[in-house]
Amino acid sequence: MSLVIKNLSAAIVGRIILKNIDLSIAKGEIHVLMGPNGSGKSTLAQVVMGSKNYDLGIKNYALEIDGKNIKNLKTDERAREGLFLAFQNPISIPGVSIADLLKTAYQQKSKIKKLHNPVLSVWEFNELLVNTDKKLKIPQEMLRRNLDESFSGGEKKKLEMLTVAILRPKYAIFDEIDTGLDVDALKIIAYGIGKLKAAGTGILLITHYQRLLRFVNPDFVHILIDGKIIQSGGYKLAEKVEKNGYKRWTDH
Amino acid sequence: MQPALTSISDYKYGFHKPENYVFKSKKGLSKKTVQEISYLKNEPQWMRKFRLKALDIFYHQAMPNWGGGLSKINFDDIYYYIKPTEKKATSWRQLPAEIRDTYDRIGIPEAEKKFLGGVNAQYESEVVYKSIQKTLAKKGVVFLDMDSGLKEYPQLVREYFGTLVTSDDNKFAALNSAVWSGGSFIYVPKGTKVELPLQAYFRINAAKMGQFERTLIIADEGSFVHYVEGCTAPIYTSDSLHAAVVEIFVKKGARVRYTTIQNWSKNVYNLVTKRMHVGEEGIGEWVDGNLGSKLTMKYPSVYLAGRKARGEILSVAYGGSGQHQDAGGKAIHFAPETTSLITSKSISMGGGRTTYRGLVRILPEAFGSKTKTVCNALIIGKNSRSDTYPAIDIRVADVKAEHEATVSKISEEQLFYLASRGIKRSEAEALVVNGFIEPIVRQLPLEYAVELNRLIQLEMEGSVG
Repeated sequence: MSLVIKNLSAAIVGRIILKNIDLSIAKGEIHVLMGPNGSGKSTLAQVVMGSKNYDLGIKNYALEIDGKNIKNLKTDERAREGLFLAFQNPISIPGVSIADLLKTAYQQKSKIKKLHNPVLSVWEFNELLVNTDKKLKIPQEMLRRNLDESFSGGEKKKLEMLTVAILRPKYAIFDEIDTGLDVDALKIIAYGIGKLKAAGTGILLITHYQRLLRFVNPDFVHILIDGKIIQSGGYKLAEKVEKNGYKRWTDH
Repeated sequence: MQPALTSISDYKYGFHKPENYVFKSKKGLSKKTVQEISYLKNEPQWMRKFRLKALDIFYHQAMPNWGGGLSKINFDDIYYYIKPTEKKATSWRQLPAEIRDTYDRIGIPEAEKKFLGGVNAQYESEVVYKSIQKTLAKKGVVFLDMDSGLKEYPQLVREYFGTLVTSDDNKFAALNSAVWSGGSFIYVPKGTKVELPLQAYFRINAAKMGQFERTLIIADEGSFVHYVEGCTAPIYTSDSLHAAVVEIFVKKGARVRYTTIQNWSKNVYNLVTKRMHVGEEGIGEWVDGNLGSKLTMKYPSVYLAGRKARGEILSVAYGGSGQHQDAGGKAIHFAPETTSLITSKSISMGGGRTTYRGLVRILPEAFGSKTKTVCNALIIGKNSRSDTYPAIDIRVADVKAEHEATVSKISEEQLFYLASRGIKRSEAEALVVNGFIEPIVRQLPLEYAVELNRLIQLEMEGSVG
């Protein structure tokens, strides 16, 4: 039971960004992907989620969720198979509240994945939303706020955390969920990630910093340089990066 | 881009009942038809003369050469008057089963349960069902169909009828004046506030049957009333015409809100003249939702005639495949310190077309006035189209006038974000559209807000942006 990425490459307007990525994330594992700016971390997240902005070139790559090939599935179909991507910045949609968005997303998923996301009445869903919201220490009024109103950096990240907690995906990718957070917010995010792990969600954390890792206890750390996974290891690898940066890999 | 509905027969309310009418006029328009209508209604002579004069104006007036395509309307191929049942029913059970069934499908009884102030439902030209709450009568509020209004309040009707929208205002106002039937007549006495919205449903149910209802509302000084009108119509292969006239008088310090959700089937020409005359410190509000019809041309107007009068027009239009919504609003400032606000939101989808057409005129006497127009268009799909024609004509120096217009599309980023949450494209588009019109939906009574969201969802189902 894993999210499997095999031999994945991606290019945009002829420029190769990802080169032969292999990554396998099992249920309940936390993997961390670290790398300098422009190394291709976000591209990996987008490509796995099914973004059409990239050319995946040769087709002999594999993308599987628990043995099921998802290569030919569209983004929404991948999501309903249990994949999730937490964005760096949630998108602006005027007039649509956070509660509206979450309700719509939940309903679409529960139609298909009944076991993972049971069908809930409006009241039951509301209860789930409010309870999850409380645990993440998000003020309830935020649920009614529209997606085009201004949110602080911390609120944006919490909104993504709330979404993943509601949708309970099998595999979740977090793209820089820790950027711009104070320690308290960081702890809340770490708490959310811990809960997901405990529930069996396989997690890929994309980050620049080691800060969040202190609270989440990752199983694996991967270093991405110039679109390639250069080295994989445990938590110690992240500590090394924190201390010495990426120099030992980038200086040739 | 696929049309939202694959064929016209998919139209949700496209059922129709076998015709069972007491009287049906011959097709086509003539002096004789008009005389016959007036005779059958047993009208006073002045009204008969009014109709005939209007017919003459109709014959002589040119078709509008702007707006949408009107050349396919064949005036000789329309029934101008149908009287569906002999007697008007006073309770739901008294209605013929067929008519009751039709209303059941639209959901009128349910709507009524939701504390309607009184349903005055129109089946064809004649109002056949009315349930007016006793409280209305106690307060002295008059809520009748227009024909009864003419019979019971002849002086009041004669004083106001056809004075705000005169027969020569436009060709379709002339047509309505000649053959009008049904519609509502409302009088709200001085200082009286009608707490619950008054509602009426309109429905066209006979092939080639034009519906020419006429509504007159008089809100006396310091009074308040909210009138809600919702339309759905079944499908026919030939084109139907709906040409209504609405005249509203808002006296000093009174407030009237008139809400319409129009969902005519997609072969209907919907050409309506709506106008409000607002007195000193009065407030006139139009909330106008246009979803259905083949072509709608409708520009609710406020004539701000008294000092500090205020007018607001909220317009929302959805133009799907084969549709053209030419909608907007007009505000004419006649008096000092008057205020107008026009908000228009349009959605063009599946090759559909929307047009915002507005006129704001501030006359020399209207110093110290303020006006603002906000137009937001959302375009979905390659061949969809949206145009904006905001005319602003200011003839005095001391005024504040603003105009804002935006055109937006649903971005790939928005769709990707929503898709990553497992939301299908059609649902994602519906979510964005419902968000887009949210500021207007918020203004509607609850059951209408629900209905509007549901209708838009229905229209968008299965469509591919």
